[in-house]
Amino acid sequence: MKGGLIRLCIELFNSRNVLWQLVAQQLILRYRRTALGYLWTLVNPLLMMSVMALVFATLFKQDLKTFAVFLFAGMIPWNFFNSVVTQSSAALINNEGLIKKIYLPKVIFPLSIAIACLIDSALSFLALFIIILAVGGTLSWAIFFIPVAYLLLLVFSFGVGLAISIFTVFFRDFQHILLIAMQGLFFLTPILYKNNALTGKMGWLIAWNPLIPFVDLFRGPLYGLAIPPTGTLLASTALSVLALVAGLAIFLAQERKIVFRL
Amino acid sequence: MSNICVKNLSIRFRIYHDRSPSLKSYFANLFKSHSNDAHSDFWAVNDVTFDIQAGDRVGVIGHNGAGKSTLLKALCRVYEPTRGEVHINGRIAPLLEIGAGFHPEFTGRENIYLNGSILGHSREQLRSIESGVIEFAEIEEFIDTPVKYYSTGMYMRLAFSLATAMHPDILILDEIFAGGDASFIKKAKARMHNLIDNANIMIMVSHDHELIRTLCNRVLWMDHGTLIGDGEPNEIIDRYLAKSYS
Repeated sequence: MKGGLIRLCIELFNSRNVLWQLVAQQLILRYRRTALGYLWTLVNPLLMMSVMALVFATLFKQDLKTFAVFLFAGMIPWNFFNSVVTQSSAALINNEGLIKKIYLPKVIFPLSIAIACLIDSALSFLALFIIILAVGGTLSWAIFFIPVAYLLLLVFSFGVGLAISIFTVFFRDFQHILLIAMQGLFFLTPILYKNNALTGKMGWLIAWNPLIPFVDLFRGPLYGLAIPPTGTLLASTALSVLALVAGLAIFLAQERKIVFRL
Repeated sequence: MSNICVKNLSIRFRIYHDRSPSLKSYFANLFKSHSNDAHSDFWAVNDVTFDIQAGDRVGVIGHNGAGKSTLLKALCRVYEPTRGEVHINGRIAPLLEIGAGFHPEFTGRENIYLNGSILGHSREQLRSIESGVIEFAEIEEFIDTPVKYYSTGMYMRLAFSLATAMHPDILILDEIFAGGDASFIKKAKARMHNLIDNANIMIMVSHDHELIRTLCNRVLWMDHGTLIGDGEPNEIIDRYLAKSYS
């Protein structure tokens, strides 16, 4: 494992050009030849969140402005995690042509997805943030914690993505199962509602949801206007490290076999 | 100096007889022992050993499915050895399939950077060869058009020009030939010969035995995954042809 890690770092450094090319490819290609171009990355979540804020603020009888900030703070980490995980599931399968013809450290495929999603997410965060301020949201110094929140979330999502990218190669049905699972996870994660809203029989399930501390990392500074409590920080750091170590271990153990299974 | 050392190299493929088992049988087999798995083993390369020194021009011959391309892919690290070892000294240029990694939505120029980085060139190197590649491929007019609108000839010319723009230590060729009209083929052949002359080691797979006789000073003969001949081109090719026609 240790030797594998050092080799991985050297190879990653040597193929950093390919990595940036793959990131650019994902960011550029999506909206090529559309009139709004890259702006769609900002418009799309913006419209989606506006509709959700309107519907659920009415449904839950909440103040629209407060609920919009609450929802936005939960949707940002969710959207990022969701895109990294679902896109990673096809990371190796979609690059079969390349993997079978030329040697590249395969980690760059899921890694390029995580980086591209991070750029997307950071930009839509900025756009939403400006809008929140425009409609009269409040700002606190805790906002400077957001980069740390992003870093922890990135490490966690990338770790999960690594494992999933390998898993789908061996078990193709998983791509479809994953879509359903992610939809279920969305409703089981406190994004539309507060952490303690689901009680009773569902309560225990919610309590074990690993995404909760990551949602709290964003909700603390943006909605609660304070740096998240130490417990949240510790839990999210532990989960990130765990996800990354497990993801890398699975990936490095299997990466040589996948070319025979694509 | 470059050299390649292959020791007891074996590569196994699993052939799955039933690619998509029904969900029922999948779960039914989940708890059974794996002894009756629906696959059989196929050794594409079986216990192959050879050394290649600087200056060698090696041709690999053999019938279809003899394991020639798998052997080359193992040298390029695409396939990890199931058993045995491959040691390589020198910068290797895998020209297994030109145009691998071209993205149809990207323009010709963007593909030079994308594909070039996949081939292992740095941004600065690519900037320095960009104009030369475009000129050689004769696609100045269309370089900023997505390659999906290219004709097959234009696509091949761009891929070939880019793949052959750098001089590697170790050149690995799998039936490489350039598309295009007669004048381009002539130009491309000259460029290929120049590339081969400048390479420290060249390994090629080809069914064109005359080409191998002129370009190579050594021939490896593969048969059903094993190496059954290694030596002087004329001798090995004659033996191979004698066997094929007998």
